[in-house]
Amino acid sequence: MFAVLIDQFWSLTIAGIALGFIYVLVSLGYTMVYGVLRMINFANSEIFMWGTFGTIVTSRDIFGYTQTSAPATGPKLALVLLSQLLISMAVAGVTAIFVEYVAYRRLRAKGTNRLATLISAIGISIVLSELMRLLTDSRPVGSPRVLEKIILGEVWGANLRLDTIITIFAAALIYFLLERFVKLSRMGKAIRAVSMNEDAAKLMGVNLNRVITTTFLVGGLATGAAGFFYITVFEYTKFNIGFTMGMAAFTAAVLGGIGNIRGAFYGGLFLGLLEVYASAVLGTQWKAVTVFIVLVLVLLFKPNGLFGEAVQTTRA
Amino acid sequence: MNKKIQRSLAVVSAAALVFGVAAAQTSANAAPKTVYIAYQGPLSGGEASTGTDEQNAVKYAIKLFNAKNKAKYNVKLVSVDDQGDPAVAGTVAPGIGKNKAILGVVGPAYSGATIASLPFYKAGGLVMISPSATRVSLTDSGSPDFGGPVFHRVVGKDDLQGPALAKYATQGVSNAKVFIFDDQSSYAVPLAGYVTSGLKKVAGATVVGTDSVPNTTTDFSPTIAKIATSKADVVIYTGYYSQAAVFIKQLRDSGSKAIFAGGDGVFNQEFPKLAGASAEGSRVTGVGGLAGVSTKLEADYKKSMGVSSGVYSVESLDAANILLQGILKGNTTRAKMLAWVKAYNGKSITGNTIKFSANGDISYGLFAGFTTKNGVLVNTGIVK
Repeated sequence: MFAVLIDQFWSLTIAGIALGFIYVLVSLGYTMVYGVLRMINFANSEIFMWGTFGTIVTSRDIFGYTQTSAPATGPKLALVLLSQLLISMAVAGVTAIFVEYVAYRRLRAKGTNRLATLISAIGISIVLSELMRLLTDSRPVGSPRVLEKIILGEVWGANLRLDTIITIFAAALIYFLLERFVKLSRMGKAIRAVSMNEDAAKLMGVNLNRVITTTFLVGGLATGAAGFFYITVFEYTKFNIGFTMGMAAFTAAVLGGIGNIRGAFYGGLFLGLLEVYASAVLGTQWKAVTVFIVLVLVLLFKPNGLFGEAVQTTRA
Repeated sequence: MNKKIQRSLAVVSAAALVFGVAAAQTSANAAPKTVYIAYQGPLSGGEASTGTDEQNAVKYAIKLFNAKNKAKYNVKLVSVDDQGDPAVAGTVAPGIGKNKAILGVVGPAYSGATIASLPFYKAGGLVMISPSATRVSLTDSGSPDFGGPVFHRVVGKDDLQGPALAKYATQGVSNAKVFIFDDQSSYAVPLAGYVTSGLKKVAGATVVGTDSVPNTTTDFSPTIAKIATSKADVVIYTGYYSQAAVFIKQLRDSGSKAIFAGGDGVFNQEFPKLAGASAEGSRVTGVGGLAGVSTKLEADYKKSMGVSSGVYSVESLDAANILLQGILKGNTTRAKMLAWVKAYNGKSITGNTIKFSANGDISYGLFAGFTTKNGVLVNTGIVK
């Protein structure tokens, strides 16, 4: 049973870390919004799905790559990848702001209870996924290969593949930048202030609507970046992929302590590795079971997740 | 809806029905008799390409029949879209079951949708001939899914496909070490079982590993790690093409050169399109297709329908022809049509004899092997 783990330990670890970083970025979308609004942004999974389409549309329709065209090289490669990343972040960011406007802002202004926004968020997520279903005729969409998956070398028997390495480093960098933004910038301070005490922050002259929109935007940008990495590694999307990813990322956020940015980081990585190890040792059919047993155990002993709650605890 | 409006609408529609029937009766003496058969399968949604291909073959058969028997009959097709989804099938089947004008159904295309439709067709005594529902339990009289007496199929069931896939996957590999995995669906899990038992009859072949992967998986790295550890030289997946495409890319990217094979769930030209170069050399079992039977027939089909024939076109043509011949013999009630199909003994366009067992199965099951070459699944002939 453990032969696979011993034999393939480093391959699995690298794959798990890459998957974990994708989870980290998507769970930021959940954690940021939760930290500020104390509401779960159920539409984040569909924001992710729209991001993956942003990536594919960029390479396929803007740069004209097809399934049979040769992968890009040199400066062209950097240009295509960077535009894919930025466009998919932009698509997801705009979608996130749209979600905030449609599903949250008006209801918040009317002072409705939290359950109303929960339902409206679920509603908008259905709209987003059904819209994509109609646009794509329910079909899966393959991504042209832009980045040749060169094997850079071998470490302890595991292949270091270019796409996984890029995913790990670039995702870590994006996480780091976002964390710095929330910690150090003026807007970041305002976000943390609102998450600590909304009324007090308002009295101090914080523009609440702007803070909330920015929070959605930042969460959306992180989620969009995740969409780009996901496509670069897996080269496949469909209108319904958001659900599984959203479930995993939400679990990661809760594991780490929802509302806590650092919690999303450790939760995502932990979940990525746990999934990969559990599938390899017990069989993939036990993946979800293992994940949720671990989640229940963690919440049993640490009800607020591994790192506790709230954006405000991420202080400098 | 308001009750009053409802009632008046009911009156109007009843009147329309009476007058409609009367009108049909008066013209029956002069004009050819109009009869209806239905096709049921996915005509929209993610599986629409399968249903559209099958329905085109049925339309083609009807077109030929109507042209030949202009004076006597005018057969019309009723399209029933179940999206290949049992939940949808359960909502469309009651209406078809009750509409006595429909004499027989070609379909449903998928086993799950078939099971959901069965109670309504059994109640209506409506005969069904499926071109592609391969689940074994449908013709197993001990199973709750048993479709008798109305269900029939002109396609080999999965316990015939499993051994064919086992043989084709390991062709040319001595002492094959095989890794089998499924997608946890009610189609894939039993098929994986039939492949495993089929492998026992392949000399030297051993199963070195298995996995069961939810059909929402996109990260296959744990499965690929297992394949690497098991040192398998043949990998068989019994799920569907879209997952197969995601998997095969990751398998090839990991550096593995193992042969990849799949069943008729992978048999779809979208598979090489989605997987690109990684799909090259993949081995897939499926049904032969019209062009494999006769290039002349295929040319005529294309001329008549405006598109090339697709998956299960041979089976759909055979199924439609059985019903059409029944109509020609004057079996224009449901009871007569059911008796006709049960006693049918005739030729498939492939030349095989079609005769149904008491449970609704045909005696043969032919599966062809397909290999991906230059981005297309190419027929390499029947697996023997």
